[in-house]
Amino acid sequence: MPLQLSLQQQSFLPDEEKKLIERAQQDPRFFAPLYERYHDAIFRYVYRRVDEEEQAYDITSSVFVKALQALHKYEYRGLPFSAWLFRIAKSELYQSFRDQKAKRTVSIDKVVLKQVIEEWSEEYTEQDKARLLVALKNLKDQQLQLIEMRFFEKRSFKEIGEICGLSENNAKVKTFRAVLKLKEFFHQKE
Amino acid sequence: MIKIILDRKEPSLAEVRRHQNFHEILAAHQYQQKINNPWRYWYYPVLTICLLLLV
Repeated sequence: MPLQLSLQQQSFLPDEEKKLIERAQQDPRFFAPLYERYHDAIFRYVYRRVDEEEQAYDITSSVFVKALQALHKYEYRGLPFSAWLFRIAKSELYQSFRDQKAKRTVSIDKVVLKQVIEEWSEEYTEQDKARLLVALKNLKDQQLQLIEMRFFEKRSFKEIGEICGLSENNAKVKTFRAVLKLKEFFHQKE
Repeated sequence: MIKIILDRKEPSLAEVRRHQNFHEILAAHQYQQKINNPWRYWYYPVLTICLLLLV
């Protein structure tokens, strides 16, 4: 799985980004540099959560069309523009799940899975792997989202908070609780 | 039911770019605007026809 750039790395300097947004609000053709900058990150965010590539492309397109439609309402309040796009992506994704156009999918790197198991178990076995996958399926969706972003996509708590509309501390606390729950499910059948 | 995929291959940046581009998004946005507000596009033709009828 290719390394995911963090929101901070992908962001323009705040002033530069602000100017680009203001220009795009006047004329949507000037949205192009913002699209070029964030399209790949949004696509990968969507792709990891749906089971078919074509659906990921469709959802990504509707994210940017929705973003263009709502751009005049966007106000820069220090939050990276990418966080606003990720929130639109999240809402589009869940709309597709509700409409049953896409299946909720979790894409996991085996190495990450192994790291988690080795932390909680004495040795890595196929049985542990299966147990962890079942435990993940038992989590509530919000808990799964937090685990996904923190451990499988290696996002910072600040980024997670920005995407989920939580403060950095709240994101930290909720992720910690989600990990506890996952651990509880993992050890349940021992 | 959640589906879990292990070690999923992701398309490369070039593949993603080949698949989608900004012009398509802009065209979809403009089309959507036209649907949402058709008057905006019919204003001048209708005005011209009205003026011609008046004359």
